[in-house]
This record gives sequence, structure tokens and C-alpha cells, in this order.
Amino acid sequence: MKKQLIYSLTAVCISLSACDNSLNLQPRQSIDAATALSNDQDVTSAIVGAYGQLGNGSLYGTDFLLVPDIYAPDNYVTWRGTFASYRELALKTQTNANAEAQRIWLASYAAINTVNNALASLNVVKDAITRKTLEGEARFIRGILFFELVRLYALPWTSGTQNLQPGIPLVLTPSTNVDQAATQIARSSVADTYKQVIDDLTKAVSLLPTDNSTRADKYTAQAFLARAYLQQENYAGALAAANAIIVSDVYRLNSSVTAVFRNRNTQESIFEIQQNDQNNAGASNDGLTTFYASIPTEAAPIGRGDVQVSNTFVGTYDPVDARRNELIYIGYKGGNRYYTGKYTNFGDNIPIIRLAEMYLIRAETNTRLNSKVGDSPGNDISLIRARAGVGPIATPTLAQILQERRFELAFEGHRLHDIKRFRQSVGTFAWNSPRLVLPIPKREVDVNPSLIQNEGY
Amino acid sequence: MKNILLFLLLCGTLLVTPALAQERRVTGRVTQADDDSGIPGATIQVKGTTRGAQSDAGGNYSILIPPQGNILVISFVGLAAQEIIIGNKSEINVALASDSRSLNEVVVTGYGTQQRRDMTGSSATIKAGEISNLPVQTFEQALQGRAPGVQVTQSSGKLGAGLQIRVRGAASISAGNEPLYVIDGIPITSQDVGTTTTEPYSPLADIDPNDIESIDILKDASASAIYGSRASNGVVLITTKKGKAGRTNVNIGYYTGFSNPTRLRKFLNRSQYVELFSEAAVNAGLVPAEEFDGNGIDINSKDDVLWSEQAFRRGTINQLNFNVNGGNDKTQFYLSGSANKQTGIIKANEFQRNNLLLNLSHTASDRLSFGAKFSVARTINDKTPDDNDFANPVQLNALPPLQPVIDPATGELNNRTLYYNALIEITDAYNRATTYRSFGNLNGTLRIAKGLNFRSEFGYDLLNQQEEIYRTRRTESGAPTGFGYQNQIRSLNWTSNNTVSYLNTFGDHAIDALAGITYQEQNIQDVNATGRGFPNDQFKKLASAARIVGGSSSETGFSLFSYIARINYRFRERYLLSLSGRVDGSSRFGASNRYGVFPAVSAGWLIHEEGFLKGNQTLSLLKLRASYGLTGNSEIGNFSSRGLYSAVFYADQAGIRPNQLPNPNLGWETSAQLDIGLEFGILRNRLNGQIDVYSKDTRDLLLNRPLPGVNGFTSIAQNVGSLRNRGIEFSFTSQNLVKAFRWSTNFNISLNRNTVTKLNGQPIEPGSRFLGRVAVGEPLGYFYGKKFLGADPQTGDAIYEGADGKSTSDYAAAVSTKVGDPNPKFIAGVTNSFSYKGIDLSFLFQGVFGNDLFNVAGYFQSVSGDYFDNQTVDQLNRWQKPGDITQVPQVRLYGANGSQPSSRWVQDGTFVRLKTVSLGYAIPASLLKKVYLQTARVYATGLNLLTFTNYTGYDPEVNTQYASVSNQAANVTLGHDFYTPPQQRTITFGINIGF
Repeated sequence: MKKQLIYSLTAVCISLSACDNSLNLQPRQSIDAATALSNDQDVTSAIVGAYGQLGNGSLYGTDFLLVPDIYAPDNYVTWRGTFASYRELALKTQTNANAEAQRIWLASYAAINTVNNALASLNVVKDAITRKTLEGEARFIRGILFFELVRLYALPWTSGTQNLQPGIPLVLTPSTNVDQAATQIARSSVADTYKQVIDDLTKAVSLLPTDNSTRADKYTAQAFLARAYLQQENYAGALAAANAIIVSDVYRLNSSVTAVFRNRNTQESIFEIQQNDQNNAGASNDGLTTFYASIPTEAAPIGRGDVQVSNTFVGTYDPVDARRNELIYIGYKGGNRYYTGKYTNFGDNIPIIRLAEMYLIRAETNTRLNSKVGDSPGNDISLIRARAGVGPIATPTLAQILQERRFELAFEGHRLHDIKRFRQSVGTFAWNSPRLVLPIPKREVDVNPSLIQNEGY
Repeated sequence: MKNILLFLLLCGTLLVTPALAQERRVTGRVTQADDDSGIPGATIQVKGTTRGAQSDAGGNYSILIPPQGNILVISFVGLAAQEIIIGNKSEINVALASDSRSLNEVVVTGYGTQQRRDMTGSSATIKAGEISNLPVQTFEQALQGRAPGVQVTQSSGKLGAGLQIRVRGAASISAGNEPLYVIDGIPITSQDVGTTTTEPYSPLADIDPNDIESIDILKDASASAIYGSRASNGVVLITTKKGKAGRTNVNIGYYTGFSNPTRLRKFLNRSQYVELFSEAAVNAGLVPAEEFDGNGIDINSKDDVLWSEQAFRRGTINQLNFNVNGGNDKTQFYLSGSANKQTGIIKANEFQRNNLLLNLSHTASDRLSFGAKFSVARTINDKTPDDNDFANPVQLNALPPLQPVIDPATGELNNRTLYYNALIEITDAYNRATTYRSFGNLNGTLRIAKGLNFRSEFGYDLLNQQEEIYRTRRTESGAPTGFGYQNQIRSLNWTSNNTVSYLNTFGDHAIDALAGITYQEQNIQDVNATGRGFPNDQFKKLASAARIVGGSSSETGFSLFSYIARINYRFRERYLLSLSGRVDGSSRFGASNRYGVFPAVSAGWLIHEEGFLKGNQTLSLLKLRASYGLTGNSEIGNFSSRGLYSAVFYADQAGIRPNQLPNPNLGWETSAQLDIGLEFGILRNRLNGQIDVYSKDTRDLLLNRPLPGVNGFTSIAQNVGSLRNRGIEFSFTSQNLVKAFRWSTNFNISLNRNTVTKLNGQPIEPGSRFLGRVAVGEPLGYFYGKKFLGADPQTGDAIYEGADGKSTSDYAAAVSTKVGDPNPKFIAGVTNSFSYKGIDLSFLFQGVFGNDLFNVAGYFQSVSGDYFDNQTVDQLNRWQKPGDITQVPQVRLYGANGSQPSSRWVQDGTFVRLKTVSLGYAIPASLLKKVYLQTARVYATGLNLLTFTNYTGYDPEVNTQYASVSNQAANVTLGHDFYTPPQQRTITFGINIGF
């Protein structure tokens, strides 16, 4: 035992000289921010990280798709879940503390900071092609996030006005220290926000390659550009973008209406959020399958069945329509209640933009502009209808095209935005009612007084 | 200092030479002063050495006195210890008198011991007798109501769940608030390392309370500054039992018992449910049958299920333990083992622990002695799901009574209930944590010169935990093919202490000094995997999982390098002065702020030793003491000062994202504490007590400075806030009757006022459903929200207090204000102990006064039929027609009538509880001799037998860990109840036998 004493004496001597070193422990699951982005691989990682952020339940994982639908539920869906934040939106009783309004905002800007960091570090990327692609992807991600935010947090784009109503803060530089992170940034106007969206997406179109595996490529950016132009009622711009994608011949409609939701990255899919069993938006308290599914199984049912499809909406489909028969089913929750079959498996990819939407945009804009760029609206619509097993419409009216859009893109996050675009109303709330605009999260206004709160919060 | 120390170490090594033994034997008898009966098990210690012995059943002892020994210390629990100069005597008989709080008692302090009379700091001591044999999983539970200034809150009735301990109030907003735990000189891991629940479990449950000799809680800066950057929340020193020279004692104990929930709540039965929700639907303009059906509830069902009681059962507890202790003059040992098994009051909740402990001490020569400790424990905890988990069985109370437990269609547990039927989780899932825990300690003490000792010590705390979850395909999260999870965690926490101490007396001057270096390092590694796709429910290991859907490994840790020093000085036996301090360097602190200095000074005056009081029998003790010093709190996270990027996944690709801003200035939180104490004894100390007044000002509080989220970060932790705890502690012990019938009373009361004095500009607002807020001028976690005023008598709308003080039914127009305070105004405990001829009775009443509770589950269960959750029966008292005056607004399905955050579910949480009762009978020695037994005692113990409160929830002692996702949430969300299981009311019967 005397040896033990000597050992500890030795230990003392060693520790005296080694103490400063022993205090320099390094984190093992994280890396130091100062050196995190120092080469091609690092910046690529940051871009992949931003896609990962897009897949979060706050963004495309759930809310960018669920909120625009549950927010405009009349004759469409019923919220029968326990989450008050969604119920408030369905009932329009939301306050400035609404949890969805807060998490969408914060997660979006966290992802924007990731891509802004990547953009600021592009100079370390040695390979020119990689650099171009990464810049395109960063612009794409930032552009679509600004677009989603301005549609949710600002009064709608109104053609014929200057659109000077407050939009969203346009943050274009990264925060790497507390001073930058504390900067108070005010809301830009809706006009300026769309200008930035169009700028980011246009640059992305020119920077991105035509194929970028499952990440965004030129057409992905172009498809979002079509959406953005459409929302601005810039029908010529939307038409050109949608047509360019269709004529590129890169994408094909799937033969069945279910294929895009049951398989990964099908030929029809222009952009999907990639998910798998391990990395997905959630399997119990978050994720589209969690809220939409109500699938009876021999074991415990899948999904919480929180969003029921209303009988009226189901009744508007043609009885033979495959989108009614194959994508809507009677769930386990409630007696004879309908549920959408678009989200049935927690680890499935989430289709965000698919070719069918481009046909619908081309048909709509051609009709509005009284043109036949690419093909006639009748042919475009009939393609979509034929796949669903319903007959063609040779010369569809605008109303028929918009109805087809509702049938095809139901539960994919278009409802509220389309209602605003069509200047319709949600229940008693007119398309431009401030109740149909999410609150700027209370915490944001508290900490950044330069942010103007939306009306009614 | 380094050089001096090294020199001393070298000297010490050279001096390790065996000295000639000149030992001699002293014998004698220890008796009770009142009746001259022999005291078995009294401790006889040679002062200044590790040499000790124990008296036998007749009170006789024998001890070898080493050459340097000249004073014997004779002590026994509950009696006044005595110090006797040996001189040339070979026989020393001692009669010990009653004195439950002896001045001469030896108290464990940081890195040493001290006599109570010389202490200038404030600490509380709890002895083995008070906590052994209580039916608790973890010893902190036994501290409740026993130590002034120490508030112990058991969060729920879940077995092994973490407790909240506050020594002199909460000193932090976002860092840890739990004290530092030190076992036999080695700081241990006291924070849950588990991953399967967000609610913390107590790693201290791995310690057998029966192995604990004493617990000392260091409260003021003088007592605790030697623990430097970790002492702000107090320090709990645990000393395990050691062997004593003398006969070998063999003790065996066994107890068995049962437990029930302290309280249950009442919910609507079938007809009440149908009535209330039909009315609610109609009031909302809906058709009842349609809404019942839409939510899968058969309005015509004949079932009437008492779902609220399905979660509970009668629990059981059994414990068997033994210990063998003894030794000779050179070597002493203590060996113990125990087996404890409990089934909880929540179905499927079980706890099992097995312990082994060996404590050895050996005197090699009069210069050199060694000690060693080795313990192993295995703890198996079958955990109950978190409060905020649909699988939490208490949440079954939300299910409609119309839905059957068994689905008649399948004959199995109903899986078509409104919410998940957690009974499926009980039968078809388990979440088991198996912990192997070992504490070890090796130490050597070398006498360099008279009074000068060098002590070197190495200790470790090795915690290995295996967590396993399996859920069959019938469970909610195990569907459709089963779910399995395995996690292995290893935490190694090791410490080396090297100290030099000097103890000497020069005429009127006595010096007790200590200096040293310590190093501690903790490393935690974790590896886990998750699988789905099992062939059938009989396969539970991941080897049978078709898909490994998750796998991860991680590592974290910290290191702490410190210098410590202390000097205690006594002049003329009555003037005391103490200086102590620590310099801590920690890997947790920012690069530009790596070392912290924590000094303390204290002084004491033994007034009764002065001429004018000396010998006074009425005022037999009067001591005044004061201390001031700085302590720190380094529970700020391991890498909080670094700017970090972490991985984020995109299906099968991995990316990175920034997730923390750098903060090179990040440091510890600092508490400056002033303490003034007065100790007194009256009538030869038959009545003695102490009163302490303190003010603890904590600054540099780590606060998340909120940042605009648009820049990518929502907050950064900075040392900016301040808060203050001020309080008074008073305790007294009275020997009411001291003859054959003995009666003593021990009373303590403490009052703490917590006030936040500085924040980062704005208050910390409560999260979504909570009310706990932090604002300047208010106590931590005070309840803030809209004041609920009941139902509008005309309309039945929920009404709130408006800005003009009048009621309003417009929620948005109501003003937010202070609606409660979860911090108690004061806490108290009173123990009465009686004994008469071998019969002993003791009971402890514990009380918490003036605090408020918030039942977060009220949003669902007491909310005017807002959704189909079954409602508490008080909702029947709803508004129905104009003129009704009630606190329950009109029931409206989906109507959100009073469903927003408000004081609607705030109640007074004051309670008084008969915490423990113990009744025992010691079988007389005359009877035992015939069966060769030394001692035998049979007893019955009750825990939480009675509770007096106005709180209508399950149990007023509650603190849901729902919000414990971060330190800050746990610190701020106080007194919240959320489907939290009530405490256990336990009765046990036991026997202890000594051979």
C-alpha cells in the first residue's frame, strides 16, 4: 500500500504540470464554429444541414404543408386533435403566442442562418463547380423560406397595389458572434420580400445543375419560381417557368395517383423532403403521418387521426376518381370518418413539388392569358384527370382548372394560399383578413421592437 | 505554494519509517448517567488518531493506546461525548449524560472533521438513526423536515424519481440548483445520466441509506467555500459506516410492507359524462351524437369505467440487510450487504437494489495509516412513463367512462380509446434501467511530524447504466412491428485529493490548518441503438430487429483542477477565527475566464466560556458566530462557452448547422453569503437551539439573453443576472423527560425569501401552458398570468380581471399579473420521540406553508368540457342559466371557454403531513441472552400516513418534471402538477437482530 501513496504523490507532480492541458477538454459531438466551415466538404455539410433543417416538423416536415390546410378548413377538413395550436388556427382564435407561429418562424430563420453561413464561406470552396452548386442551393433554400414566410406572416400580395404592407425581415448575412446575432432587423415590405425571393430563386436557377440527385437542381428552383410568380399573379412568369420544366422532359407523371406518396423520388417528383426511419419529422407528436393518418392495423393504429377530411369535400370528387378511392379512406378514429391517404408511413419522403402541379399551373396561366404555350389547358388537365380515372375536359373553364387543382393537390399545403390568390374567403374571413395572417411570434416582437406586429395580435 | 507543497511531500516520503511501538491497554465501562446501565456500542476513540473501539453489550471496552495518544473521546448517539485525559490510568469508566446536540460532537467538514464547539460555519447533521429503515429508495427522501434551511421536494410517487433539494433557496435561474454530493470525501455523480425519460431519476438511489453513518449539509460560505465553484447550492457530505475495534458485531435486519397512493381524484361517471358533454355540444351549437361519434365515443355505451383508478395498485416493499463490523487495534472493518425490492403504486413501476460495501482501515504504524472503501450496487428500475406522455398511466383519467377497458370485439385491451390506452403500455412494454455502480476510495495518511499530516486520497464513482425499452406491436409507439431500444452509459468520475494538515496547540492558541491540491475529471460515454421490425412479440433483443432505425454514440465530460486551503484558529478556548478558500480551474469556463477564487472568513465567540457565564447552569451554552464568503456554481453545462456546429441529418445524409454562439467570457455564478448564528443551551443543555440569519446574494447568474430569432439564434448564455435569498432558520431540541420515560422534541422552522434582483432587460416568460415566470423584484418562478374570476353570471363566459380591475370576458383584454407563488413562506418539521423500557415511539410532522400550486392538467381535465377528456367532478358545478354564480364557466365543446392560461388552476399548496411514524420494541437483553443474541428490536414504520391540505389535486407535494427539458425550465416551473402520480403512503414492519 505504500506504493499507492507513492503513485499518488507522482500523480500530484504530474497533475501540477499537466493541469492546464487537462482543462482543455474538447467537445466530441460538436465542432468549434471557428473552424467548422474551412473547405469544400465543410460547406457542403452545411448545405446538407440546411436541407435537414427544412425537413423539421416546423417547416416542410409538417407545418408548411399542414398549416395552410388546417387554417382554411371549411368544407375541407376538421381538426379533431388535442393540440391547441392547430385548433386555434382552425378556429381562427390564435394569439401572438401560437406555438406553430413561433416554431415556423424560428426554424426558418435558423435554416436561413445556416445557408447564410455557407454563402459567406464560399470562398473556401476550391472546386468551382461545387462552389456554383452550393451557392445555388443556398440561394434556393433561402428563397423558398422567404417565400413560405411572406405567405404566412404578411398580408397577401395584392396586384395593382405597391405591396408596401410589411413583409418579413430579409436576413442576408450570417451571425457568428453575439453582436451579429443581436442585430435588430425590421420587416421589409411584401414587395421587397418577393423581389428577394425572385432574386434568390432566379440566381439559383442559373447556378444549379440540371441534376443534383435528391437535392435541389435547376428545375426545383424553377418550380418554386413558378409558384412564386403565380402567387404574385405574374401569370406569364409562372407559365414560362412551369412550361420550361415540362418541356425539359426530365419528369414524367406516374401512372398511379398513389405512386408519388408510396415511393421515394419517383419520376414525377421535382422536390421531396428526404426522410427515413431514423430521420423524419416525427412519429408521435409531429410529422404529417402523425396528424393525418388514422390507419387501423392488427396492432396499434398508425397516426393520431387528428385531421379528418370532411364528408362534403369527399363528396365533391367523382365517385370513380382514384384520388377519392385510393387516397381517401375510413380511419380507425371516429365512426366512418375519412382521412387522407397521402401520408401513411413515418419514414416516407414528403413530396413538395411534383410535375402534376406544373401542368396545373400551365393550364391555369394559359387559360388566364388565353394562350396555349406548351399545350392546351384541356390537354394538360385531361392528362391529370386520365391518371385519376376520370374523363377528359376538352376546354376547361378557369373554375374547372382550379377545382382540379384542389382535387389533385389536396392536403399538400396549397389551400390557404390559393384562397388568398383567388380572393375567396375562409368561412367568414375574407381573403385579406388579418386573421388569416399568422402573428409575428410574441418573443420576437419582445426582443426586437423594430418588428411591427400584425393587425389583431 | 506549489513548491512548498512539493517539498512537504518529499519530506513526508522520506520519513516513512516504522516507529517503535510503545502501546498500552486501557479498559473500562461506559454507562448511562441516569441509571448506570451499560451502553453497548459506544465509541471509544483515541483523539487525533484513527484508533477506536466499541463497547460490548455490557458497556465494557478495551483499547490499545498508541504512544502519541493522550486523550480518549467517548461518544454515543444521543448522549454528550466526553474527552478524558488518559495520563497513567489503565481503567477509565465514563458515565454519559443525555445531550442530543453535543458541543463535543465531531462533525464532518470539507476535507476534515471538527468539533461542533469550534465550528464557525453553519451546517446541519443528520445521523444514521434518523434515516435507517425508512421505506425510501433514496436517502434524500429521509431528509425531509429534518434539517432547517433544507427544502426537499419529492416530485412524485414514482420509484427512484429525482428529488428537488434546495439549501437556503434556489440560487440559480438557469444553472443547476442541486447541492454538491460528496461521499467519504469524493464528489459523486448526482445528476441523472439516463436517456429514456426527460424526467430525472436520482443516481443517489444507488446508495443504501442503511450504510450511511451521517449526512452533513454545509450551508454557509464558511462551511462550503472549500468546495469553491460548486458550493453555491450547499454541499451534502455523506459519511459511510466504518468498523470499530472490539468484538465483531453481526446485525441482520428485515422489513416488509405495503404502500398505497396518498390520494386519488374523482372524475365524472358515465351518466355525468354524457350529461355534461351533451350539454357542452348543444351549448356550442353542435349535435351531441355527431360529436361523440366523430370522436369515436359511443354515446349509448353501457360501460361505466373508473379509468382514473386503473393506473394504481397496492405496492409492496421488502428489504433484507446485514452488516458485520469490528476489528482489532490495527485493522477495523465494516462489511454490509442488502437487498431491496419494491413494487410501486403505479402499475408496472418497480425498483430493486442490491448493495455490498466494505470499509477497511488499517494502522500500519504510528506514522502511517490507510483506509479503503469499496462498494458495488445494482439498481434495477422499471420506470413509469413521463408525466407528459400519453403512455403515463395517470393520464388514463382522461378517458371517457363510456369506453370499455377490454374491447368486446377482440377480447383484448381496448385500443380504440379517445387517447392511447396506457394499460396496453403496462402489459406490453417496459422501460428498464439497470445500473451497476461502484464507489471506491483509497487513502493513506502519513504523520510527518507532531500534528503535521499528509493525506493522499484517490476515489472514483463508476456508474454503468443499461437502459432497455421494449414495446410490443400493440403499443402506440411499438406499432406495427415492435420497438426496441438499448442504451449503455458509462460515467467515470474520479478525484485525487492531496492535502497537508497541521493541528497543534501553543498555550492559548490552537491551530488547525489544511492545504492541498485536488483534481477531478468526469467522462460520460453513451452508445445506443433502436430497432423496429421484430418477428413477433416474443423477440425483444435488437438482434431480432429487421430494421435498426437509430444508433448513436456520444461523449462528454469536464475537468476541474483546484487548490484548497483553510486555517482554523482558536484563542483561549473561546475566540474562533477561520479562513478558507479554493481556487478552481474548470474546463467548463470560457477561455478568458478559466480560474475562479472562492474565499471565506468566519469568527465565533463562545460566550459561555467567559468568566461572567462560566459554570452558569441556566444558560449553559451561548455561542455567537458570523461568516462571509464567496462560493460558485459551475453547473453551467460542459461546453457552454464554445461556438459550436453540430450534426443534422437529411435522411441518409449528414450535414452540419451552427447551434451555439461562442462566449469566451462565460464563467461560474457567484454567491456572496453572510451568515450570523447564535447557539444556546439552557438548563445544562436540556434545551438547546440555534438560530441563523443569512443573506445570500448571487450574481453573474447565467441567463439566456434572448436574441432575435431572425439571426439564427434565440439566445446566448451570459453571466448577467442576480438574485438574493434571505432567511432565518431556527431549531431547538428539548429533552422534556429524561427519567425512565423519555420524551424529547426536535423542532425546526425555516423561512427563505427569494427575490430576483437583476435580469437581462426583460422577464423570462412562462412557456406555453405554464405560469412560472422570472421577473425582477419577484421570487423565482412566481405564477404570472391572467386572473380567472369564474363564470359571468349573465352569459356563462369565462371572465378575467381586466386592466380597469373589472371583470372582462375578453381574454385578450385581461391583464397578466401575479397570481401565485410556488415558493413556500416557511417550512417546518417537528419530531417527538418517546421511549420507555425498550418501547420507542417517534413521529415527524412536516409542513410546507404558503406556497401555491398550478395544475397544468386542468387545461384538459377541469375546463368546462372543452374537449372529450373526462372532467373532474367539480366541473358539474357549471354555469347553466343566467344568475348562476360559479367558478365553472358554461360548458362548451371546443368552445375554449376559459381554456387559456390563467389562474383557473392555481390553488394553495400548503400542507402538513405526518411524514414518518416509528414504533419499536427492544427485546430485553435478559431474554436475548438465552438465544445468544445481543440485541433485537421489532418495529413498525409509517410514511406519509396523514396529509392535511386544501389542495384538490392528487398530492400537494408535487413538482412535475414535465418541463425538465432544461435546467432553466426545471428551476422556473415550480409547483406545477401534470398528471403526476401521488406520493406513496407506506407501512412497514421490521426486525433488527444483533449477534
